[in-house]
Amino acid sequence: MGQTKWSEPKVSEDFIRILEPSGVAKGEVPNVAPEELLKWYRSIVRTRAYEDMTIRMQRRGELSVTAQSRGEEAIGVGAMAALQAGDLVYPSYRQFSGHLYWNAPLARAMAGLFGAAPETIVAHLPIDEVDLPKVQFMPYGVILASQVTHAVGSAMADQLQGSTAVTMTFTGEGSTSEGDFHDALNFAGVFKAPCVIIVVNNGWSISVPASRQTGSATFAEKASAYGLPGARVDGNDVLAVYQTVSEAVARARSGEGSTLVECVTYRVVDHNTSDSSEVYRDDEQAAYWRTLDPLDRFTAYLEGQGILTDETKQQEADEAKAFVEAAAELARSVPRSTPETMFEHHLQGEPSWAERVQRAELQAELEGRNPFLADHQPGEGS
Amino acid sequence: MSNTVTTREEMNLITAINSGLRQEMARDPAVIMYGYDIGPIGGVFRVTEGLYDEFGPQRVIDTPLSENGVLGTAVGMAVRGLRPVVEMQFMGFFYNSFGQFVCSVANMYERTGGLCAVPMTIRMTFGGGIKPLLFHSESTETFLAHTPAVRVVCPSSPYQAKGMMAASIRSDDPVVFLEHTKQYRARREPVPTEEYLLSLDKAEIIKPGKDVTVIAWGGMVEQAQLALKNVDADVELIDLRSLAPLDVETILTSVKKTGRCVVVHEARRTLGPGAEISALVHENLLEWLLAPVQRVTAFDVNFPDNQTEDFYLPDAQRIQYGIEKVMNYRY
Repeated sequence: MGQTKWSEPKVSEDFIRILEPSGVAKGEVPNVAPEELLKWYRSIVRTRAYEDMTIRMQRRGELSVTAQSRGEEAIGVGAMAALQAGDLVYPSYRQFSGHLYWNAPLARAMAGLFGAAPETIVAHLPIDEVDLPKVQFMPYGVILASQVTHAVGSAMADQLQGSTAVTMTFTGEGSTSEGDFHDALNFAGVFKAPCVIIVVNNGWSISVPASRQTGSATFAEKASAYGLPGARVDGNDVLAVYQTVSEAVARARSGEGSTLVECVTYRVVDHNTSDSSEVYRDDEQAAYWRTLDPLDRFTAYLEGQGILTDETKQQEADEAKAFVEAAAELARSVPRSTPETMFEHHLQGEPSWAERVQRAELQAELEGRNPFLADHQPGEGS
Repeated sequence: MSNTVTTREEMNLITAINSGLRQEMARDPAVIMYGYDIGPIGGVFRVTEGLYDEFGPQRVIDTPLSENGVLGTAVGMAVRGLRPVVEMQFMGFFYNSFGQFVCSVANMYERTGGLCAVPMTIRMTFGGGIKPLLFHSESTETFLAHTPAVRVVCPSSPYQAKGMMAASIRSDDPVVFLEHTKQYRARREPVPTEEYLLSLDKAEIIKPGKDVTVIAWGGMVEQAQLALKNVDADVELIDLRSLAPLDVETILTSVKKTGRCVVVHEARRTLGPGAEISALVHENLLEWLLAPVQRVTAFDVNFPDNQTEDFYLPDAQRIQYGIEKVMNYRY
């Protein structure tokens, strides 16, 4: 282990904020019904219960690797609450509160974490069409920022076909260094794509700090080079995220084009279960940002508004526990994917000679036979 | 196909592809042309000529100059129901979009368990012989065909090109459509003016023969045709047409009959498509072979400068040497 750690300046809090860290709202508060606010709260509580459980499962060896969004949960739900049925999301990997807000099937997500193939999951955890989320979630971008380019193209297609759907995408501040991010914003600006591009600035790309990603003062200001408006918002303030993103969504839906929203937060946990952040950073800023925790802040606000009581808090916590445990049980009920599943959904139509031969080879191995003893003749596959 | 009512026009590779594109755009409003220099200019080789006038800027979309931006946004377009026909001006420019190609174009359908297909046709010019600038003569189809879950096709004639273009656009798979720059205006032939579809995964036996199988595609088909006039052997010439998936049945059936095989490609030798074809033949037909498979290829160097490229590219003479080698081989 190296001896030297990064020394990082305090992140600027010059951003849009509605909820003070104490939970007191200042200025104009978005007009949201109490039941809807409670749904946001529930989405965050359940996300945290889910991720705490997956961490325990990872430590027990049930999962190989998993990441938490702890401390960043206001962004997923605050942003996606601004969407409506028929919209699309091209996420990154720490917006799970938004997925839960739209009732994404948690058991299916967990089965995916277990490493099951999507074909197996869908076959064993069927969902009626009417119960599917009303926004369409695309897979999260593993090749970072590639999903931002997809999102812009997706939005362009909707625009060309006369749809009023809005596309939302998320990417990390580190991913703004990828060429895809530039390409996406450039196309978004030129074609006025109905897209909302959210940069989740959590300060760290595994071990590399945000200051190493850009010479710009903020990530929001990158928007101006592409002819887009940019906004910088307190990512730990669910009201401010919702308010800012709602304006961006409205702009997109009315044909005015894309908006870049930088949500400033802090990765108070390790990058994922394979990471040890003490190797490269001190805990000083993480400790500070824990005092800005989005759930604590929102809880205090809801209590102050009389929307949440000790009783309903306990009830939500109990329901969250039952909810994630039920999902885990369902996920565990998904059988292991059969090896042949790997061949599924590559090319459509009649399988090629190579596919037939390789499927037969795998089958022979599964039966304990030497796969190479078959004499493949022209016109044969197995 | 019935020829009785077919009207035909003389077309070269460019006009045949253009005819296929126009026909598919007229048939299906989801088909759009997408790339740079494809609108009013009609493509630097004029393949999309006239389409902008006919279908307008919503269907023939000139983009910012970014291959990665073009291909990445095309993925999102395909997800949302369009069928983009992407133009990559040159194979060497396509490299800038390789990440999107491998990680998104080739992966989305499988990753989503079949929920999100990305039907798109990626047109690109390839091949040498016109003596342009660096990276305008690439023949690195291995990079494409090594990637699973994409089709890679390479028509060598105007007739093939029109029918395969229509089939590519209608395919729900991503299809890379290779257009050989030197073949663009090399020859004309009668091509049906009506629509027709050709298979995307079948090789074509251009000329049957019994002594030696010669396998080529793109610009090398013409060179092989020249070569077989000068050899004392009855050559079976196969135009591969599809590089992914390979039509292994046609290859093995032919070589089993002839006992000899020569693979010709402009691609460099090491891990070029010939390596795969040679391995397939040796693995499956060793006891039928009268000679080892001979690869006739370019050399393992960067594409050379204009004055030396003719010595790099395989030609009829080099193919003739390859055929003579296998014909005269004795164990």
